[in-house]
Amino acid sequence: MSTADALIARAARHSGRWLVLLAFTALAGAAAELLLPMALGRALDALTGTPVSGAAPNASVPAAVVFVAWLVALVVACDVLGVLASGVSGAEAAQWLRRRVTARVLAAGTTTTRRFTTGDLVTRAGVNVEEAARGPEAVVTAASLVIPSAGSVVALVLIDPLLGATLTAGLLVVLGVVRAFMHKTTVAASGYQEAQAEIAARLVGALAGARTIIAAGTQDQEVHRVLAPLPRLREHGLSLWRLHARAGVQAAVVIPLLETAVLAVGGLRLAGGHLSMGELLASARYAVLGAGLGSAVGYAGRLARARSAARRIDRLLAEPALPYGSRRPAEGRGRLELRRVSVRVNGSPLLSDVDLVVPGGCCVAVVGRSGSGKSSLAAVAGRLLDPDVGSVLLDGVPLPQIGREHLRRAIGYAFERPVLLGATLGDAIGFGLPPERRDGTSPGNGLPSSGGIGPGWRSAAGRVRAASQAACADAFIRLMPGGYGTPLSGAPMSGGQVQRVGLARAFAQAERVLILDDAMSSLDTVTERQVSRALTGSLAGRTRLIVTHRVATAARADQVVWLDGGRVRAHGTHESLWNDPDYRAVFQGAS
Amino acid sequence: MRGAAGGLLRRALLREPRVIVRLAAWSVAEVVPAFAAGHAVARAIDEGFAAGRPVTGLAWLGVLAAGWLVAAVAARQILLGIAAVVEPFRDDLLTHVVSRAVSGLGAGPVVDSGAGSGVLGGGDTSAVARMNHQVELARDALAAIITVVRSFVFTLAGVALGMATLAPAVLPLVLTPVLLGLVSFLASLPALARRQRGFIVADEHVSASVAAMAEGLRDVVACGAEPRVAAAVGRDVAAQARAARALARVTAARTLALALGGWLPILLLLGATPWLLGRGVTAGVVLGSLTYVMQSLTPALAGLVQGLGVSGVRLAVTLDRILGGAVPYEVAGPRRPPEGAGLELRGVAFAYGPAAEPVIDGLDLVVPEGEHLAVVGPSGIGKSTLAGLVAGVLRPSEGAVTIGGVPAAEAEERSRALIPQEAYVFRAVLVDNLTYLAPDATEAEVDEAVAVFGLAGVAERYGSHTVIDPAELSAGERQLIALARTYLSPARLVVLDEATCHLDPAAEARAEAAFAARGGTLIVVAHRISSAARARRVLVMDGSRVRLGTHEELTAASPLYADLVGHWAGRQPLSAGPVAQDADLPRRPQPA
Repeated sequence: MSTADALIARAARHSGRWLVLLAFTALAGAAAELLLPMALGRALDALTGTPVSGAAPNASVPAAVVFVAWLVALVVACDVLGVLASGVSGAEAAQWLRRRVTARVLAAGTTTTRRFTTGDLVTRAGVNVEEAARGPEAVVTAASLVIPSAGSVVALVLIDPLLGATLTAGLLVVLGVVRAFMHKTTVAASGYQEAQAEIAARLVGALAGARTIIAAGTQDQEVHRVLAPLPRLREHGLSLWRLHARAGVQAAVVIPLLETAVLAVGGLRLAGGHLSMGELLASARYAVLGAGLGSAVGYAGRLARARSAARRIDRLLAEPALPYGSRRPAEGRGRLELRRVSVRVNGSPLLSDVDLVVPGGCCVAVVGRSGSGKSSLAAVAGRLLDPDVGSVLLDGVPLPQIGREHLRRAIGYAFERPVLLGATLGDAIGFGLPPERRDGTSPGNGLPSSGGIGPGWRSAAGRVRAASQAACADAFIRLMPGGYGTPLSGAPMSGGQVQRVGLARAFAQAERVLILDDAMSSLDTVTERQVSRALTGSLAGRTRLIVTHRVATAARADQVVWLDGGRVRAHGTHESLWNDPDYRAVFQGAS
Repeated sequence: MRGAAGGLLRRALLREPRVIVRLAAWSVAEVVPAFAAGHAVARAIDEGFAAGRPVTGLAWLGVLAAGWLVAAVAARQILLGIAAVVEPFRDDLLTHVVSRAVSGLGAGPVVDSGAGSGVLGGGDTSAVARMNHQVELARDALAAIITVVRSFVFTLAGVALGMATLAPAVLPLVLTPVLLGLVSFLASLPALARRQRGFIVADEHVSASVAAMAEGLRDVVACGAEPRVAAAVGRDVAAQARAARALARVTAARTLALALGGWLPILLLLGATPWLLGRGVTAGVVLGSLTYVMQSLTPALAGLVQGLGVSGVRLAVTLDRILGGAVPYEVAGPRRPPEGAGLELRGVAFAYGPAAEPVIDGLDLVVPEGEHLAVVGPSGIGKSTLAGLVAGVLRPSEGAVTIGGVPAAEAEERSRALIPQEAYVFRAVLVDNLTYLAPDATEAEVDEAVAVFGLAGVAERYGSHTVIDPAELSAGERQLIALARTYLSPARLVVLDEATCHLDPAAEARAEAAFAARGGTLIVVAHRISSAARARRVLVMDGSRVRLGTHEELTAASPLYADLVGHWAGRQPLSAGPVAQDADLPRRPQPA
């Protein structure tokens, strides 16, 4: 059994008794359905007095009809319960799978996003889970469809071999038609999708140019421009319909013709005295049921889809989790130490043999051309990523040994393009605070706090506010429709404003170490200077690792680490490095 | 909203009455077998096979087969008829979506800088893709509904007619349970619709929260917020599972309704057979009646239940999505040509919400025609808001903005132009992009603009026939196209809102010089201090205060301006050749 099949099996176990009920109803229903035509035929024969069973017609009338009634009741009950069981078992399995996917994505962290795009993850957690969760149901349903269809063919053969042959020949025609249709549709659909995509692309473009369009008052002109491919879309759409009409109708007419053919052959046998009236009725029903074999094949396709979906989910679940220890960081002021750290991606080195010590409370700037490994260094320093070789220590304790809560409270990150999460702006800034802090009920949880804690830093709300002020975000947040309570979705912000909120989030969170990964690149000079002032003022107690392109930022740092090709090229004060023309050139190409 | 959906549907169905008539006519042809089946089977047996005349029996079955072939031809025509209804319906929907998205652009607040603006967000690709998908769903759902409702109605009529002619006594035995089943199904439809809608919404929530988690994964990890995010996603997942279970329950109930209408007639027919035989109905007729029910009526009923239960609800939900949530936007009043391009702001205040502090408060400003004004200040201080107010894109909460004596929002659009930071270039040839605001521009004028803004390279690359893909251009090239386009326009008031931020300083200087020489009023929201030095007057925005003056006056009088000049320019004199592209110049001497 492959791991994907095992995953489906485990998901099935989580739908528990519902799947058992589904299997039971499906099998019972299938059996009842298979018996029904025969019972109908018997009842008809008994009622119309055809001597088949040899019993006196009048005596067997109620019994035969009652049997049909019981079968019908069973079919209906199985149908209703089966629909319920299939829906609920699928829901349970999907829920279990989704929880696992979520947990794994979160545990694996940033390595997941390197390998899977957002759209891919959404597909895996959405459609793929849905398909995989339907795997067990597909097995049961396929079985329950195969039983009556295959059984019908057998029943037909038993009634009369000629009837069985008629049906089998017809079925082959149906399958051929369906296959031909699938092929033609995929070809025709692409033209349609292209026209559709073009309209979407034009609309996206127009929306991006919103300001220009509003100012120029060219909305009507734009609507025409965006909709220009519409006639082409309709043309492709109609040709798809024509194709569909041809193939769909071919498939639809086959089943009734099949039934008629069986009736004709059966009629001849009736005339010859080989078949009773009831058997003829049963044959017609069995022909229709047998034709359902086509949809049973469709279910086999669904099972194949479930398996491939499970494989896709399984690949995601195979991502290794980032393990955390349970230690607290030792007493200290946030001394960071990188020992012979190397990071590789797909074999190519991003960082090689980096040794670096950042004394507690020190401000270190990391500079270098793009691609020199600055962001990798930042990621490793706060354990967004574990190095492939070497180790990183915070106040003497290797990062993997520190518990997640303690590690994240100690180290805060701000990014060039922060993704803001949370319900409101205030919530987004407090996103890195422990829950009891975020809602402001119990400040302080025993974690040692380093310097720079003014009176405003005690409560959660105060912390958020003070951090926002330090990041120069407080003023514009108060201009928002609901201030700090403005929902994130209703707070349109420029790139610079988003960066400032991201900085505030890091300031509020970090107890010991602040890592700024090009986090001030979109700030104008004045704002950047104000934030820098806070970094050397109210935030000065914390260790600061600042990735930057700007000379001014490097000049203000206590130390500069100059990266080149993933290695530390030099390490020293900005003044001492400035004499090197290569160092000066680092800032030339920056934009 | 309801009305809008109803209107669209009505229009789709009644646009071409001919199509509907044809649809009905072919539907009659399609039910020929439904009508003929019982008769043919009954006759084939009674007069043919059972009577020892197999040829007669075969002939009757041949009639039935012919009926099915006729039905097949009819079904094809019907499908094409349905296409003729739903394809224009899809076009209507798409047109509606696009018109609302584009025309409604002015409705939401357009905030600072080009990134993320407007109600639909600055080009929210996924929202557009979803919309496209919804339109497709709505089209398919309408097609399915027309198919099943039509098929059920005509089949029912055909069967009823067939049975009435075959054996009228059978009719109540069949129709009563079918109608009962139908009524109970229709009664369950609202609950089904609610559950299905609930499921679709829950599904979308899960997708959205998984997407948010994936997009912000790095930030989640950095914040140590994994448990919180897992709990949040878990809540959505649990809600979805609840919705799925609820949907399964009502679907099961629906199945019961179908069973009632589909199976009960068969049992009733069987139960009544002795009575029917006693009234002279033949065995063949009983078989024929059973054929009617099992072959035509039950499948049509199942189709109806399935079709309405799924497609009907889907149509309602998607139409709600497409048409709902519409932001009502003001229809612009008649536009007036302003007299001149002078600008006046009196007591202007602007806030982005009733609870928000005003971004601009009590601003008075007079910019005479022909002025060249630069606006400087820290980011987020309201420079773009001011640009939006001047261009009539935003309306002041208090006070008045007038262009040539006409309120800015009522002034003819062609009289002024705003170029935002994110230049708008659309998929079309270069010339179409350049003459966007000046359709009558001559070739010579276009060539001049191309030369002035250094677009010769782009013109050469694309020639006159190749459509430009905006993503292929650099940000600077896009800005040059937007600048040249505005240069060609008849606008006498031009607002450049950091419209040159992706150009190198030399190209920026050239562009500003071209606009200054072009005449009319020029307002430049400065990205670099050099823009301010070129302007005749400078407006410094500093939160609560504004100051107006020349570059020299302000350097002396405004500490903020002096600060800005100091940081932007470093120790270098402003005129000392090109400056580096970054706004933040090193404060140390640079190597040559």
